[in-house]
Amino acid sequence: MEFYGYRRQDGRFGVRNYVLVMSSVACANGVVEAIGRVFPDVMAVTHAYGCGYATEDAAVSACTLTGLANNPNVGAVLVIGLGCEGLQCGYLVQGIKDKPVATLIIQRDGGSAATTAKGIEIVRRFLEELRLQQRVPAPVSSLVVGLECGGSDAFSGMTANPAVGNAADRFVAEGATCLLSETTEMIGTTHILKRRAASPQIAGQIEQMIENEEKLVRATLGDRAGMVIAPGNIEGGLSSITEKSLGCITKGGTTSINEVLGYAQTPTKRGLVLMDTPGYDIDSMAGFAASGTQIMLFTTGRGSPAGFPCVPVIKVVSNSTTYKNMPGDMDVNAGVIIDEGKTIEQVGLEIFELALRVANGQQTCAEINRSQPFNYLKQGPTF
Amino acid sequence: MTSNALKIDDKDNVAVATEPIARGAAVIVNGVSICTAAEDIRAGHKIALVDIPAKGNIIRYGEVIVVATMPIARGEWVHIHNTQPATG
Repeated sequence: MEFYGYRRQDGRFGVRNYVLVMSSVACANGVVEAIGRVFPDVMAVTHAYGCGYATEDAAVSACTLTGLANNPNVGAVLVIGLGCEGLQCGYLVQGIKDKPVATLIIQRDGGSAATTAKGIEIVRRFLEELRLQQRVPAPVSSLVVGLECGGSDAFSGMTANPAVGNAADRFVAEGATCLLSETTEMIGTTHILKRRAASPQIAGQIEQMIENEEKLVRATLGDRAGMVIAPGNIEGGLSSITEKSLGCITKGGTTSINEVLGYAQTPTKRGLVLMDTPGYDIDSMAGFAASGTQIMLFTTGRGSPAGFPCVPVIKVVSNSTTYKNMPGDMDVNAGVIIDEGKTIEQVGLEIFELALRVANGQQTCAEINRSQPFNYLKQGPTF
Repeated sequence: MTSNALKIDDKDNVAVATEPIARGAAVIVNGVSICTAAEDIRAGHKIALVDIPAKGNIIRYGEVIVVATMPIARGEWVHIHNTQPATG
């Protein structure tokens, strides 16, 4: 099966062809935003980090930002640095391969106004270059699909998540890669996930990953550790993290687990792969985007409108009430499994077919709304 | 009969209301009336399909999701007020 994508020099295919402008440190955000105002179709990405943190966070930061720039949906990259930050933009761009890259440094390039003017010229050149590139036939097996959830309710585990799981099984059958993440929401399901590991080694990695996360939760929350559920989820009817987790992991479908990845790492195996990320959906999506994920399937019950920069996010809502309450935010209504007696397989096929149209260029609700927040994992103190 | 609650696995001893179920109304799963709601149940919330003793397992997706902290009668609402996490 094929879709039409942008071929990259390393053999991957993008489903979008963005010029990405991003800051290496929060101090450079103003220039990034100024360039973004001139070019609404350019993806201007800012963040709150880039300086003053411990080794581990610095490594995650570099890996995530470089990974986003390396995403096959990005055709060219301009990184704006300040000059004195911890995460130097020269270091960031060293890892960016196979696409036009430029850097500007505000302290070197004449301050904010002059740097913005230079940035506008660079972006104009990039846009002209990318305009000449055309979509070509690409195998569906080249897709990496991220499976995400946020603002879940009791219906998520009955409708939207099993339907996305069905779509994930269809992608895996085509030879594609599907990423399941949010380790926090796997707590209580270790025994189930281990049964699905492709090898004893992977089973051990699954156990270790979830055990580490559970230790972190227990150390942080003590006696309330069993109740790591956002208030919206309790209001929606979920009683424990185990109940929520069981509903969550159904997004991964039914196939074997072929690899376990650290945050923002790139998969080396096809099929279903786990990534160690927090339950916070935006941070989790950043891990996906940095790993080369071209498209994401995102389930919600309470109604999360959030997409992500550079990566189209298909919102699948678990119930018709939220679908009707938030017109224009949800791409698929899985609530029809309850209201209209549709099967999980029918909605799963609908999601799969929509995902292929989105891969071909059809815009998702979050893209139309420009609902594309950016944040990523940070664990240690700031100095 | 139109269902107003969903049961996912045969082993489950709770169903989830797919619409608000008023006290005294029938709880209908797969078109079959299982019991009467002992209290108002909000959509998305769980109802005991059998009598569950204190410390009894609450089973959904065929797995233990929480443990009862008090006896729960058939038709009663099952949530954080009468259960605790099994691993907590």
